[in-house]
Amino acid sequence: MNTKGQRILLWTAPPAVALLALAYLLFPVFSPPLSPTLSAEEVAAFFRDNATGVLGVAILCNLIAGSLIPLFAVTAVQISRVATSSVVLTYAYIICVGVGTTAFILADYCWGMAAFRPERDPELVSLLNDMAWFFFIAPVGTIIVQNLCFALSVYLDERPDPIFPRWAAHFNVVTAVLLVPSAFSILVKTGPLAWDGALSFTLRLVTFAAYIVVMFVVLRRAVNNQGSEREVLV
Amino acid sequence: MTNVVEGIDEPRRGDAPRGHVPGDASMWFFVIGDLLIFGIYFVGYIYYRGQNPDLFLHSQARLNVDVGAINTVVLLTSSLFVVLGTTAARAGNPTEALRRFGVALAFGAAFPVLKMFEWIPEITAGITPGTNLFFMFYFVMTGLHLCHVLLGLVILCFVIRNLKTAATPKISFVETGATYWHMVDVLWLVLFAAFYLMR
Amino acid sequence: MTRRRSRKLDQWITFWSVPFFFTIFGLVFVPLSWMMPPRSPSASTPDIVAFMQSHNLLVACVLLTLAYGLAPVSNAVYLMQIKRMSVSPAFRYTLMMGAITGAIVGMLFPMFCFGLGAFRPGYSPAVLSMLYDFGYLAFIGSLGCFCVMWMAFGLAILLDKNNVLPKWLGYYTVWQYMSELMAAPVWINKSGPFAWNGLMTFWFATALYVSWQLVVYTCIYRSIKKQPEAELDNADITRTRDSRTGAPA
Repeated sequence: MNTKGQRILLWTAPPAVALLALAYLLFPVFSPPLSPTLSAEEVAAFFRDNATGVLGVAILCNLIAGSLIPLFAVTAVQISRVATSSVVLTYAYIICVGVGTTAFILADYCWGMAAFRPERDPELVSLLNDMAWFFFIAPVGTIIVQNLCFALSVYLDERPDPIFPRWAAHFNVVTAVLLVPSAFSILVKTGPLAWDGALSFTLRLVTFAAYIVVMFVVLRRAVNNQGSEREVLV
Repeated sequence: MTNVVEGIDEPRRGDAPRGHVPGDASMWFFVIGDLLIFGIYFVGYIYYRGQNPDLFLHSQARLNVDVGAINTVVLLTSSLFVVLGTTAARAGNPTEALRRFGVALAFGAAFPVLKMFEWIPEITAGITPGTNLFFMFYFVMTGLHLCHVLLGLVILCFVIRNLKTAATPKISFVETGATYWHMVDVLWLVLFAAFYLMR
Repeated sequence: MTRRRSRKLDQWITFWSVPFFFTIFGLVFVPLSWMMPPRSPSASTPDIVAFMQSHNLLVACVLLTLAYGLAPVSNAVYLMQIKRMSVSPAFRYTLMMGAITGAIVGMLFPMFCFGLGAFRPGYSPAVLSMLYDFGYLAFIGSLGCFCVMWMAFGLAILLDKNNVLPKWLGYYTVWQYMSELMAAPVWINKSGPFAWNGLMTFWFATALYVSWQLVVYTCIYRSIKKQPEAELDNADITRTRDSRTGAPA
């Protein structure tokens, strides 16, 4: 079985990452990240003044929201080659990716909605913005679990020539741990844990970016080493 | 000599069919459980009827008893042909069984059609599940029953296909399908009595 | 003497994550936030406002955000059993797709509706009331994604020639489908036995659901235990070394 399909899908990741990075840089809501302490009027004014930027990025992210899925799909294929007794970790991984992507898309919709009608009642715009941040934080939960599933599969791999190096598992665990603080961001409105803070925002996005880059490298190696060996997942 | 010995064993082998559970045992699990679930709904209905006797009585009067009665006859006839078909299958006569199940299917298929003649006028006249508690019970329970009927029609189709195409039809499969269909019939009798007749 | 670790660890770890997850889920929705048992759709506006502004709802959101990734794992536990059955992969994929949808529309989104109201003071009663409705309706009234999951699961069990799970469980799973049908009226009624807190649509349907969950995981426990080592996915791997000590196994 040749791995051409996997390699092609894998190489969609760098352009996807580039576009996501562009979206991040252009998104008014993120630079700097909108403070949770703003009043409804201030939030409404923000979306009124930055409507073009917000809508542009919302449209872009609407289009590229699924663009990391191929990378995760190839990961799932490689996890299925791991010699564990069942497919449970592969399937858990796939479902997590689907769920997390949906939450991300909903965040995108909410921000788009917030900017869509400048004359909307400020209370509703503020609500939409809050909703967007809730949904933007949510994927943290699925990434944590999918990473732990990945790590578990590596630790339990019985192959004499394991699919993944052990350090990849440790890396996934560390990533998961570093993402945990973000989940607490809805409890506070100031400080490093708030959704615009150093832990919940900066650390989270930096960790996630590094994680994607590292996983890309790890997967390239795993796919290249697959050779003509058959995948297991059906 | 051996024949005599076998002959002695015959009566005992003949005993086994009498103790045989018709069809798939787990279908009986489903049937009994399903009856229990409907039973609980029925108890709920009786309780709330006791709380609102006038509302329920007046609402009941707006039901179309004629279609309900016709549907009862239709289902009973269908069940009858299922019984006849099962007997024919057991007697080793698949062609006759096929014919009878075909008739059963035709009668069974009339049920949802007649239901539409009952429900559509009601709904267009403004009687919906949201109208009051009686109609909520009515639509929910007859609706759930209708889903069971539709599933039963599908099962009957599979039984017919088995009778038509298999070299030796699986009697237990026929019996399983028949069991389900009889349950659907029994449920309807209770529903008909509870909603249409009970005053 | 080195103890040979179980070769089914992936199955066991994911299996035991399920009661862990359901416990957290139960704690989050009941004693922590008192979202469950559901409050009345016809509660008074002051009651709704007071409830929707309680801080515990936010804590519940945080816990669920951290834990909800385990819901996919619990669904994967079903999937690994279906994989062993003789049925088409389409049954697995159906359950998977339903699970992906259901996790958001039936769990995360409603939870967030409750948390949003508590996030900042000053929301009007109309907005809080809308979030209250949306939260309960999405949580209790999420039907189709689960309908298709239980249909696929039940059918797979009934059609399976390998008898991975008992046939009566297949029929029991069909009742799960029915309990979704039974919950449909919550989108109409605001009081009485068919409202989202009603006797028929909530209490009865929940009793069916909870009992099924207990039964299905007991059956899966037995199934994992019974699975012969020769049938494991990694059965053909010969362990030439003990993976912990490096000594020959």
